[in-house]
Amino acid sequence: MTSTRGPSSRTWVLAAAALAVLLVGAAAGMLITTARDASDAAPGADSVDVGFAQDMRMHHLQAVTMAGIERDRTSDLTLQGLAFDIESTQLSQSSEMAGWLTVWVQPSLPAPGAGHMAWMSEGGTHSHSNGEGGSTTGSVQIMPGMATTQELAQLRKLSGQELDVYFLQLMLRHHEGGLEMAQYAAEHASKGYVRNLADKIVKSQESESKQMKEMLAKRGAKPLPAS
Amino acid sequence: MASGTKSKGSNKPRGKSNSANKARRSVVGTARKPKPWGMIMGVIVIVALAGGVFTYAFTQINEKEKWVVAEDNKDPSENISGVVRKTYPAGQHVESTQRVNYNYSPPFGGPHDGVWADCNGTVYPKAVRTENMVHALEHGSVWIAYNPDKIKGKALNTLKAKVEGQPYMLMSPYPGLDKPISLQSWGHQLKVTDVGDARIDEFIKSLRENQYQNPEPGGRCDSQDTGFDVSNPPPFVAEKPDPKDPNTVSMNGKGAKDASAEEQSGTSPTTSATTPPASDASTPPATSSSTPPSQ
Repeated sequence: MTSTRGPSSRTWVLAAAALAVLLVGAAAGMLITTARDASDAAPGADSVDVGFAQDMRMHHLQAVTMAGIERDRTSDLTLQGLAFDIESTQLSQSSEMAGWLTVWVQPSLPAPGAGHMAWMSEGGTHSHSNGEGGSTTGSVQIMPGMATTQELAQLRKLSGQELDVYFLQLMLRHHEGGLEMAQYAAEHASKGYVRNLADKIVKSQESESKQMKEMLAKRGAKPLPAS
Repeated sequence: MASGTKSKGSNKPRGKSNSANKARRSVVGTARKPKPWGMIMGVIVIVALAGGVFTYAFTQINEKEKWVVAEDNKDPSENISGVVRKTYPAGQHVESTQRVNYNYSPPFGGPHDGVWADCNGTVYPKAVRTENMVHALEHGSVWIAYNPDKIKGKALNTLKAKVEGQPYMLMSPYPGLDKPISLQSWGHQLKVTDVGDARIDEFIKSLRENQYQNPEPGGRCDSQDTGFDVSNPPPFVAEKPDPKDPNTVSMNGKGAKDASAEEQSGTSPTTSATTPPASDASTPPATSSSTPPSQ
């Protein structure tokens, strides 16, 4: 009887050791999977990420329109190049944001009439500009910097130096209006790639704004008041 | 049952001594027993196997992900030896008449022409004005510069094959280059001597269209509508610009442009660009803001 107890207990120990190793391995695997799952989770409809992607995409698309008008109609080569640059870059960025929204299973644009920028309020504790010169913690109907239908129609009518000046004025106001959203998302978005793009938008549009101010000054014109 | 008998049989000698120990222990209580070598070896083998499998999986995954740009791998070129890194502010534009006093040759960041060199897999047969090439880097492209005295024939074709038809790639001779080949991406440079150097492809994999390293994600490479003519690009200038020349812009972006901007709003509004908007257009801008700046 005792002669069988020795080997059998050793078998048990070996089995236990093997089991322990397997368990540790499985645990490590599960931990990795869990970590990945957490970072892969799509941001929800009320998140900064989704709000930024939808609002900034809409904001960008108007810049694409305005830059396209200028690129087609200007006779100033420098401005044609600048307009082409803005148009191409912002169209590409808005497509990237549409890609995120598709993967997150969210609408690619804000719902009509739903308002904008409510995602910037940090639960009502952070106020942002309301697009009309004041500030609010809620949603706004028109994002800062957006041109009105009349302003766009006006831009389409102009030509020569007047077109260039008005384009610079509208685009400068548009860039500066979008800055606040990008700055907020660069700090508060949950996804690193969203914060990265928002940060790149802040930096590249700031330097473009500086350049457009110089171009306006060169043409003897002033920026429009903020909207 | 069968396996039980087998292990019993194979472990018989030790099993005996073990059972002797057990028997003794039952009497004495804390008697010593010989080391259970079989068990120790078994555990070691299992752990080693598990460790081997894990290490293999880990290195395989690591090698695969090494060159993939991701949130936790924003600059894969850190795995490449010899890459020079610098941080440059983006979007400092100069005019086509100006030159930038770059502090690296070839430069890989800093002020640049407002117009980018076409970078859609573009192989330039002749050297191109550096200020335009640097703007292409800002849009996320990789520029392969080579010394035309060192890289010829087959070597040149090897390099061309890495660029032709490849979006966000451009290549040009760079006379006087201190190494046969120099790769540039915004803020990154790698100089190599041999076209067969594996680091060339690693550099391209790590940095082309890298959204974390390039300042303007989504920047375009086509150059139509910009005034840059791919078939007849502005030529390269070998001599360093004179820092005292009013058309020279320094690396911090301060230079001719800012000075001329001050001039315009200040004392001598001489250039033709300062003419106020033409008054003969039928519709004035919607606002009254096209007035000259107050001085």
